[in-house]
Amino acid sequence: MKTKRLLALLLASLMAFAFVAACDSGGSGSGTDEEVELRVLNYFSLVNPGALEEIERVWDAFEKAHPNIKIVREDEFEEPFHNATEAHAAAGTLPDVLYVWPSGRSTTLHSQRQLKDLGPLVARDGLAQYYSPEAMNPALQGGGYLAMIPRGLTATNAFYVNLEVLNAVGLEPAKTYSELKAQVPILRDAGYETVLMANESTWVMQSCLFSLVAGRFMGEGWETKIHSGEAKFTDPDFVAALDFIKTMYDDGVLDQSSLVLDYGDSPGLFATNRAAYYIDGDWRVGDFLTDANTGEALIDPARQENILMTVFPEIDLPGVKFNRSNSVVLATGWGINANLADGSAKLEAAWTLVKWLVGQETLTFLVETGGIGTPSRLDVDFSAMTLEPLQVTGTKFGDEYDRATAVIDGVFDGPVYTPLNDGLQALGFGIQTPQQVAELTQAAFDAWKAAQ
Amino acid sequence: MDNRSVSIVTKVFIYLVMSVFAVLSIYPIFWLLLQSFKTNQVYLTTNKLSFPAEWFFGNYEFVWVRGGFSTFFSNSVIYAVITVVLVVLLSNMAGFAFAKIRYKITPLLHGLFVVGILLTIQSILIPLFLMVNAVGLYNTRLGVLIPYIGLGLPMGVYLCTDFMKGIHDELLEAARIDGAGFLKIFARIVFPMCAPVSVTLAIITFTATWNEFILMNLMTAGDKYKAIPAAVGRFAGTLGSDYGKLFTSLSISLIPILIFYLIFRNQITKGVAAGSVKG
Repeated sequence: MKTKRLLALLLASLMAFAFVAACDSGGSGSGTDEEVELRVLNYFSLVNPGALEEIERVWDAFEKAHPNIKIVREDEFEEPFHNATEAHAAAGTLPDVLYVWPSGRSTTLHSQRQLKDLGPLVARDGLAQYYSPEAMNPALQGGGYLAMIPRGLTATNAFYVNLEVLNAVGLEPAKTYSELKAQVPILRDAGYETVLMANESTWVMQSCLFSLVAGRFMGEGWETKIHSGEAKFTDPDFVAALDFIKTMYDDGVLDQSSLVLDYGDSPGLFATNRAAYYIDGDWRVGDFLTDANTGEALIDPARQENILMTVFPEIDLPGVKFNRSNSVVLATGWGINANLADGSAKLEAAWTLVKWLVGQETLTFLVETGGIGTPSRLDVDFSAMTLEPLQVTGTKFGDEYDRATAVIDGVFDGPVYTPLNDGLQALGFGIQTPQQVAELTQAAFDAWKAAQ
Repeated sequence: MDNRSVSIVTKVFIYLVMSVFAVLSIYPIFWLLLQSFKTNQVYLTTNKLSFPAEWFFGNYEFVWVRGGFSTFFSNSVIYAVITVVLVVLLSNMAGFAFAKIRYKITPLLHGLFVVGILLTIQSILIPLFLMVNAVGLYNTRLGVLIPYIGLGLPMGVYLCTDFMKGIHDELLEAARIDGAGFLKIFARIVFPMCAPVSVTLAIITFTATWNEFILMNLMTAGDKYKAIPAAVGRFAGTLGSDYGKLFTSLSISLIPILIFYLIFRNQITKGVAAGSVKG
């Protein structure tokens, strides 16, 4: 009897297995001759503002407008997205259209020319006139050619000012670092922190503040001088930039408790008036806006009037070359698999999709929902949108700075910026000196360069 | 020791210690459930340990309906159930062969199986992806199930072989004298006797499969074949998380594990004890 039961169990398992196999085989239908099927690797996170609307407004809308193009979309996010990209690249199964970074995590795709040069297609369709010059500048991309079209420009430093807190203690927004420093005791006595920043993750300080500081101390194009050997991380200017970060901790402008503050917790603390100022990137605006699902906002629209968005104040210390600058990098965007043959129907379909994904309608939607701050297209009409006050501030953010300098993790590889990121945290803890951090970074750069 | 000889003070102390451990185990789950009834905005701006001032059920609706959790959930069940059944069954069969059918190449074959314990998913991820692609199983449930079963077998074969070595040969010889074949001996004598190790193996395999993320996520594209861990991660990101929905998805994903435990708690206790003794 038990033998029969066992056999029945085995049979049932095998049948389930076969059933699963049968179900699977039914799901891989192929398109007809008239139809072009595009495989797309999309970066999709449900925590992105307007994520669910994106399916309908961007993807469904495209398929409706182009019934001959069938899209097989693979949605990935965070690290799994990069794992999937690497696996596809290794297997030679890279999708037709990909969400890519201008450099950084997508550097291999750029440098190995696995992405199509979109320059000729842009020229053919006369698209360049609709985009900012930075978006169309091949030199700003990892492979030195136009491998992707970015959706926007990302300013990695945004200095959020909470007027509610400042008004409560009778202060005005600080225009210079000295003014900021002078506000520390007043704010502390009133129970407020001066500058809120979530430095538990090491990338935050490097990306959201130090890149700007390094630009102001080193000057424009400093990263190219490092790459060419004209400058070094151990040069006095770079050490002075590192020293400024240490000074911020020493002056109490940044509290050591920021070194254990999780990045996800900081918007809630700023929204509840923990500090007078908050340093993050321009992308943070979306988190403060009204959530379409709950109808709640971290900072409701009425209170948003009291939040200013500007760049880090003037650093009125010796050695600074200029102020009113920000660290800016191309935002993520879309590229096409280099294996798609020129003149093929598939390439045309892929190009049509890319033009849609970085087109006026899609970028307008992304700006409206807080998905991007500064769009790469010049014809996105902000005045026609219904925006919350903080979004309006965000659309004018570009007026707050006159110069754009490099974002370190956008222009150097991981082995170079990782010791720098760690060193910036060590400065906060007081366990390394600026000179030591500079030397470790230079050593990492030399090792990286030797390995190239 | 006679129960009556245990003093009241000792009993109170034992219960106190057990209560502390019980609270330490249960409180995180309780906290998770509480937070799942808060919106992200409320979670970020109120005390993280507080009860929700207003119970928000919208997270559950969002996660299940708009987040497509029902598909992920059913995929997880399919992957976990089929993997557990086949790993337990095949491991027992292989274990029986390795333990009781002695042949020259038995140790070699056994060694080849068991060496798989040393392999981590990460180390074989890319070659596995290439193979799954080559045989046309990319983005299919089989493309996930076959590696799951293959990766579960080494530990299963090791545990079962070791356990079955403890079964006296005389018992099996007696059955053979009575006319039973290998299959009958396995099904009617060996397999029932291996219940403790089978339960241990089922627990290990179920929890490993239910929580596995990297392989499943890499072998599938789109939502059709992905499982719960992929869905949970969608509510968390480097630049921001929707905590209310994240905790909701984690709460939902905990339910089957809790049900599994409640149904099999006695066997689990015995199985883990047996496994630890044998292990």
